[in-house]
Amino acid sequence: MTEYIIETTGLSKKYSNNLVVNSIDMHVEKGKIYGLLGKNGAGKTTTMCMLLNLVYPSDGKILLFGKDPRNHSKEVYSNIGSIIEAPGFYENLTAYENLEVIAKLRGNYNPLNVKMVLEMVDLAHEKTKQFKDFSLGMKQRLGIAAAIMHNPELLILDEPINGLDPFGIKEIRDLLKKLSCEYGVTILISSHILSEIENIADVIGFMDEGVLIDEITRQELHERLNKYVEFEVSDIDLALELMNKTGFKENKDYCYKRSLGEYIEDLDSGENSEESTVGGTIHLLSNLDLRDKFNTLFVSSGIDVRKVNLCEENLEEFFTRIISND
Amino acid sequence: MLTFIEMEFLKLKRSKIFLLSLLMAALPSVLMFIATFAFDETQSFDALFSTVNMYMSVLFAILLFSIVISYLFGREYNEHTLKTMLTIPISRGKFLVSKYVMFLIWIVILSVVTSISALAFGFLAGLSGFTLGLFINRFIELLFANLLLFLTFSPFVFISLFITNMVPAMVGGATLTLVNLLVSGQNWAPYVPWACPYLISSGEIADYGVSLMIPYGVILATFIVGIAISYIYFTKKDVPL
Repeated sequence: MTEYIIETTGLSKKYSNNLVVNSIDMHVEKGKIYGLLGKNGAGKTTTMCMLLNLVYPSDGKILLFGKDPRNHSKEVYSNIGSIIEAPGFYENLTAYENLEVIAKLRGNYNPLNVKMVLEMVDLAHEKTKQFKDFSLGMKQRLGIAAAIMHNPELLILDEPINGLDPFGIKEIRDLLKKLSCEYGVTILISSHILSEIENIADVIGFMDEGVLIDEITRQELHERLNKYVEFEVSDIDLALELMNKTGFKENKDYCYKRSLGEYIEDLDSGENSEESTVGGTIHLLSNLDLRDKFNTLFVSSGIDVRKVNLCEENLEEFFTRIISND
Repeated sequence: MLTFIEMEFLKLKRSKIFLLSLLMAALPSVLMFIATFAFDETQSFDALFSTVNMYMSVLFAILLFSIVISYLFGREYNEHTLKTMLTIPISRGKFLVSKYVMFLIWIVILSVVTSISALAFGFLAGLSGFTLGLFINRFIELLFANLLLFLTFSPFVFISLFITNMVPAMVGGATLTLVNLLVSGQNWAPYVPWACPYLISSGEIADYGVSLMIPYGVILATFIVGIAISYIYFTKKDVPL
């Protein structure tokens, strides 16, 4: 039986008449990285806040580690590390002092542990700098240090890579993967940066307007991403004519795009438009296994085929598609 | 609780507001020191302690305490640390009580600073009549007044939670200072929570011909109402991010 670290049933949050989270049934498996994906205002942060008891649900049920957090608050939440939006720390304190406050209040202060975790996020050398003088990236890294300092079994991270440079993003991504793979830490991470979620998550939850539209594994995602073959041809009109003759329908079996540069050049040259040819790109959407036949057909008809690519819809396109379908 | 208080002190490291509050606590003594020379105001330690205590409890403390309490609670909102604290986890009730206890400790420190500064400036001004007993008695009088004032500040906890910047608390503190001035010597002074502490500690309450139960009851009622609304509000409300 699958062990869920986070399980919600009908979780909702309503502010006045505004339903910001609408009956979410979320399942986060033990040891997995769950990416929560959605536009700004989709309800990701509110959902995470409800999981952390910072925001009270209007309706629904939450189970963390299989327990109701309202009855096992101390036990459950001491095993969770979190970052919600911008990390909050005392501005007049250094990184070490801020972590000391948190660790002492948590009751597991160990100076070596604090130093180690600061080294891990590359802040150990900032011994005297106060939090108010930190860059956005440094603040974010300190937030991550605070979240992982007590070796939690669950991390709830809301947009943890905000403000990080590409190197910082890669470091944090590697760290999270390591925590998940080597230490079995379960991670719920939200982002509106699709590529980041695609890179890191085992399971992706898609949220839009407070609704959890779908929860799919990376494997399922790969299977559900639309695939197509892209032909770049020298004569788009002739290629389309050939495709139509084979009984293929536009927008169903294929779609196309004229090469704008070539089209403008063609107009500028003032040559007889009937004799000139314009190149373009055709996307073969169905019967992908016939791509070699089409290639042969185009070439034998005197069309130069400049490129043939087998392409896959990216997460951004998939996300847009499932939101539109919904 | 002890760890929480220890951490509250760590949070005050490099804090300008803590230093500022100490300077404000010494301000009545400084003013009286100046008055001693400028207006020939006080000639003895007894008069100095008595006047400093009155200025502190009736005027300065109201504004000073309102700043301190709004800083203690408001900074957790303004620096976005409340979400960090509550997810440690710390229960909301414990958080509220611990902060209020820290406020009490801060008040004790300010009372000590006021009394010691009065003593120091008294010696600087060359006043006469100092005895250790007098100093201790006047310190206890000030401390008692400030502790009673502490109880009347629970509504300010609610204000600090409701509007998290320091301006409303400071406006409230300034308003109550004016109220204290207005009711001074009036028959209904014993019914004003923030005027009662000085009247009780100085013994002036006897001049008003009311039972001691009345000012104590007013203070206690203010404390209970303030704590109750603060607790209900804080434990029922979502944490702002």
